[in-house]
Amino acid sequence: MSHPAADSRFLLRRLHSLLGLLPIGIFLTFHLWENSQSRFGAGHYNGEVVAFLRGMNYLPVLEIVVIALPLLFHAGYGLVVATQMRAELTRYRFARNWLYWLQRVSGIGILIFLLLHVGMTRIEGLWRVSVREDLFGHMQHLLSQSWMFGLYLTGLLLSVFHLANGLSTMGIVWGLTTSARAQRRFGFVCAGFGLLLATIGVHGLIGFLP
Amino acid sequence: MPANRMSIRFKIRRQDAPGSPSYWQEFAIPYAPDHNVISALMVVQNNPVTTDGQRVAPVVWDRNCMEEVCGSCAMLINGVPRPSCSALIDSLTQPIVLEPLPKFPVVRDLLVDRSRIDEGLRRVRAWIEIDGAWDTHEGAPRISPIEWSANYLYSRCMSCGCCLSACPQFGPHSAFIGPAALAQVRLMNAHPTGRYDQAERLHAIMGDGGISDCGNAQNCVRVCPKAIPLTTAIGELGRQTTVQAVKDLFGG
Ligand code: SF4
Ligand code: SF4
Ligand code: FES
Repeated sequence: MSHPAADSRFLLRRLHSLLGLLPIGIFLTFHLWENSQSRFGAGHYNGEVVAFLRGMNYLPVLEIVVIALPLLFHAGYGLVVATQMRAELTRYRFARNWLYWLQRVSGIGILIFLLLHVGMTRIEGLWRVSVREDLFGHMQHLLSQSWMFGLYLTGLLLSVFHLANGLSTMGIVWGLTTSARAQRRFGFVCAGFGLLLATIGVHGLIGFLP
Repeated sequence: MPANRMSIRFKIRRQDAPGSPSYWQEFAIPYAPDHNVISALMVVQNNPVTTDGQRVAPVVWDRNCMEEVCGSCAMLINGVPRPSCSALIDSLTQPIVLEPLPKFPVVRDLLVDRSRIDEGLRRVRAWIEIDGAWDTHEGAPRISPIEWSANYLYSRCMSCGCCLSACPQFGPHSAFIGPAALAQVRLMNAHPTGRYDQAERLHAIMGDGGISDCGNAQNCVRVCPKAIPLTTAIGELGRQTTVQAVKDLFGG
């Protein structure tokens, strides 16, 4: 019996799913935990947190291979997936239907936020020494403007939602959760994880404020 | 008597031919208890006169069993996809709005072409091969009562298409085969003889328009009139395709 191998689209979709957690989800969790150290002030943040990251072995390679490329693929393929959606939110007012819609819409929101966020920090830091040397001060300056704080808060909450909800549907996609009860239970676990992560993230944002 | 106990009022989306524009017409018949949408439509058909007194061509629809097992009578009733033979008039708000089942090409009025459901079932080989050059099995294959009762749930699918019309990933815009065919893969893969073709069925749903086009909105399981655990099937097939993909990549 000849078995044609799985369609490449199946593998791409699974890769898209996997990259959302590994490394992107792990990175987001690490990133938010790290920035929650903003509450210790400029000295600790610039001297310990940023200095540790900047001194990392193979840093540029890691940034490109572990963060940038997976994110680009996840975002690009995610846009393809989003075009398949024909949501009817008012006709089918089920929570999962809303989450399905929000997952796609938040993805687009996150993409816009990330372009701004990375541009304002990592990219700007390439030519502005002050951003590189005093990231805490730079962030404090940015977040002190209320619209910018709102932008960061929105980007943060969308990202955390996208990760938590993505994790719960990953359970179905990969076959970890099958019964309706298991899917529900795991949904609550993911919601709890999301709330925790959101709290840490907001804590980090507030820590930058003067 | 409340107004809806004196008459049964319908607002029907009509369409004369495939691709032609649709339009609305209203009909009313005298109230009688225990009508369902189909039996009331039969009364309308006897005397197809709209509420404005215009004599029109009789409304076209599809039905067969009248007991929610054939699936042919599904339509959009007050905005919800469901079989019309089991939609009891006394439980519906009036005027009852009838529209053809969404996502499928309209043939005429409430009659749609649902052959895409059959195509999906064919694509995933939703059957069990019993004829071969040799005996595939001896005697009746045994399965446990627990497994049997889980499988039975999926065997009740009547290909009505309600789940497909509620699915935000299914429609003319996509190649997605939809939840009904996926659930049949779950059923056939669990059958003692059907198991032999598991890899082929899994490869079929790992192809274009297969299981990875599901976005987990889970509308399907909410609207299925036979309460088929479609999202459980999708989760179990997620597991089976994960294992299959590992076998494909690493051998075994
Ligand atoms: S799964 Fe349910 S809704 Fe879908 S075709 Fe079968 S019986 Fe109809
Ligand atoms: S879970 Fe949602 S996307 Fe998947 S088949 Fe059901 S309705 Fe469609
Ligand atoms: S007529 Fe068969 S399901 Fe309604």
